[in-house]
Amino acid sequence: MDRGAGSTEQFVPARYQAPLPLEQLILQDGAQGAGERMELDVLIVGAGPAGLACAIELARLAKAGGKELNIGVLEKAEALGEHSLSGAVVNPRPFRELFPDLKDSDFPFRAPVTKEAVYLLTGGGQWRLPTPPSMRNHGNYIASLCEIVRWLGGKAEELGVNIFTGFPAAQLLVHGQAVTGVRTAASGLDREGGQTASSAAPNDLVAKVTALAEGTRGLLAQAWMQWQGVGSENPQIFALGVKELWETKRPLDRVIHTMGWPLPGDAFGGSFMYPLEPNLVALGLVVGLDYRDAELDVHVLLQRLKRHPLFRPYLEGGEMVEWGAKTIPEGGFYSLPERRWGEGVVLLGDAAGFVDVPSLKGIHYAIQSGIHAARAIHAGRLGEYDEAVNRSYVVSDLKRTRNMRLAFKQGFVLGGVQAALMTLTRGVFPGWRYKMKADAEHPRSTPGLRPGSADVPDGKLTFSKVDAVFKAGNATRDSIPSHLIAKSAVPDDVARFYTHVCPAGVYEAVDGGLRINAPNCVDCKATDVLGPRWTPREGGSGPKYKRM
Amino acid sequence: MKIAVCIKRVADSEARVKIAADGKRLDEAGVKFGINPYDEFAVEEALRRKETAGAGEVVVFSLGPAAAQETIRTALAMGADRGILLQTDAVPADGFETAKALAAELKDGGGGWDLILFGKMAIDDYNHQVGPMVAELLGLPCVTAVAHLEIDGAKGVAEREIEGGIEVVEFPLPAVITADKGLNEPRYPALKGIMAAKRKPLETKPVQLGAGSVEILSLALPPDRKEGKIVGEGAAAVPELVRLLREEAKVL
Repeated sequence: MDRGAGSTEQFVPARYQAPLPLEQLILQDGAQGAGERMELDVLIVGAGPAGLACAIELARLAKAGGKELNIGVLEKAEALGEHSLSGAVVNPRPFRELFPDLKDSDFPFRAPVTKEAVYLLTGGGQWRLPTPPSMRNHGNYIASLCEIVRWLGGKAEELGVNIFTGFPAAQLLVHGQAVTGVRTAASGLDREGGQTASSAAPNDLVAKVTALAEGTRGLLAQAWMQWQGVGSENPQIFALGVKELWETKRPLDRVIHTMGWPLPGDAFGGSFMYPLEPNLVALGLVVGLDYRDAELDVHVLLQRLKRHPLFRPYLEGGEMVEWGAKTIPEGGFYSLPERRWGEGVVLLGDAAGFVDVPSLKGIHYAIQSGIHAARAIHAGRLGEYDEAVNRSYVVSDLKRTRNMRLAFKQGFVLGGVQAALMTLTRGVFPGWRYKMKADAEHPRSTPGLRPGSADVPDGKLTFSKVDAVFKAGNATRDSIPSHLIAKSAVPDDVARFYTHVCPAGVYEAVDGGLRINAPNCVDCKATDVLGPRWTPREGGSGPKYKRM
Repeated sequence: MKIAVCIKRVADSEARVKIAADGKRLDEAGVKFGINPYDEFAVEEALRRKETAGAGEVVVFSLGPAAAQETIRTALAMGADRGILLQTDAVPADGFETAKALAAELKDGGGGWDLILFGKMAIDDYNHQVGPMVAELLGLPCVTAVAHLEIDGAKGVAEREIEGGIEVVEFPLPAVITADKGLNEPRYPALKGIMAAKRKPLETKPVQLGAGSVEILSLALPPDRKEGKIVGEGAAAVPELVRLLREEAKVL
């Protein structure tokens, strides 16, 4: 890795990362320590678009076959949708398949995309670019994923599905090589993990099939793949998106995407601005976690972005009403697990990596994967899930763009040229697989002194991380035990790196170490990719997103 | 023990509420609703009383829109036995109308309640009214804002946290009690409770309420708080801070 002038030290984040605590995550079914034990026919972990689509299709297939299936969906958020965050511009295709009797206007979308623009930004200006074919959005809809999830949840409950909000799945229950269910996280523990008057023991939920639809960087999905030795051609890689919702004075009439400034040339990413209503605007910045600069901070860059002349006129005088952050699996085709099913288990949606970066979409793949999983579960042949997904547009879309994100590992300009060739040849160029490393394997370096950038938040247009976390609705109990696994002693530059990776101000570099403000965490999983590991905490902790 | 608990569906205390265009009610779009927190203490207390007695029934009542069924389900998931929703489009501004409807229903159900529990107030209107009004309409004794409760046969002893001390009140059963914070630590619904709640009986009865004698003329948000002032950092800032507290804030 060539370093620019001014760089001082270099380190590889993976060296400071604790291994996945497999011995804790994979638990023999029947192990002591659980309160209640509940038997279900099918257990779905995660009430997001993938999990709920799976529940809906399955309940409907069972009803059509004259059978009653006991389907349970576990969700760590206190209420439906509160941990769901996306852009989002949604492709309605699988909604039509899941609800053949409904019209597009019945779906929980805000508005069809009518106008769109792509810009290359410089510090003080912008160039309008022709919209790349993969980013054309006519026929798609602007939506809030929170609202989609609440709507899908309502549909599932109407069909008799049991949705258990506030119950995070913490451990995978297994018997032999088979997954038999999950154990939920305990609640009501004190800071040291001790019992209190309101403690509740974990619960065991067992089922014939467990569908892991945990979303991005799913903990149990990671554990299962590692335990079963299920690999992928390339490791999965991630981006971090930080998003704000604004009530604006000036209406916005189009979907906007930008590339370039304020990102350094060796970082992959861009911004988006979508009008949910003319005066209700979602704005965000997404950056691949393979960037080189240890001080890159996505939250701070988003604050800087808002001062750009393209954005500022829309936001000024308005009000930031919500803030949130989430990682995105960006590896695409070559990072898909070689199989997304095993004995008693299937992997859905983001947990399986069904995201297409060039079109910036994953919600419709998540729903489609849920539909296919439901059909395979209903048929009693889980292997058919993989076959159906492989035959579907989910995998063919990802295959067509298989090297596009990877090309940008070589920087923005070279990446752009290659991506254009790939688009022209529908993915045939370059004819081989770009290899890549996991994000945490990329060396980072701390630059020396840089020209002072006065990034002091003004509390009106730009915000500190502490103010931002408040706008995420995060009201996690202050006295919960820390759910983040960090190596106890890390060098100062690594500690400072964590403070920049985390958009929610969880980490503080203090004299000779790291201070962890765990209740700030909004479950985005960014440091799970690059540093301290994330594990679930008591149900209902974390953000309470409303329209993200 | 036969116990009635009356609960209210209110906007989540963390919700960022907006005033509707008519200026007289909240704009409910996108707002999360749930059980009034003081009513949770009442539900929990009812469940504990029944568990201690070893037998009985806990029946949950609410007056509100159809969506209040969800609120009742929460209480059923905690462990209450059945629920009754007095369905109306809007909760009246005059608590007396609500109290009359609830009292009529409590009497209609055959009465025979050992305890009727309420939260001490609803966090949306801060009225503290409906519990005592129902007691009056039913001719029962009422103890409000109870922070500790002992029941012994047909007699109860309640503690109320009052300014600077604790008031101890003795009362005969049946009685109406309104619950304060500290009465207990409400339980979270367990998985089995959530499953079971779906099958518990929940009756919905439409009610027609009178206009009442209270009308909301307007709602307004509190004024924005004035921005704080950072005087400086460290010991050097102390003299200036003292000066400001003395001369501007006039608190020293």
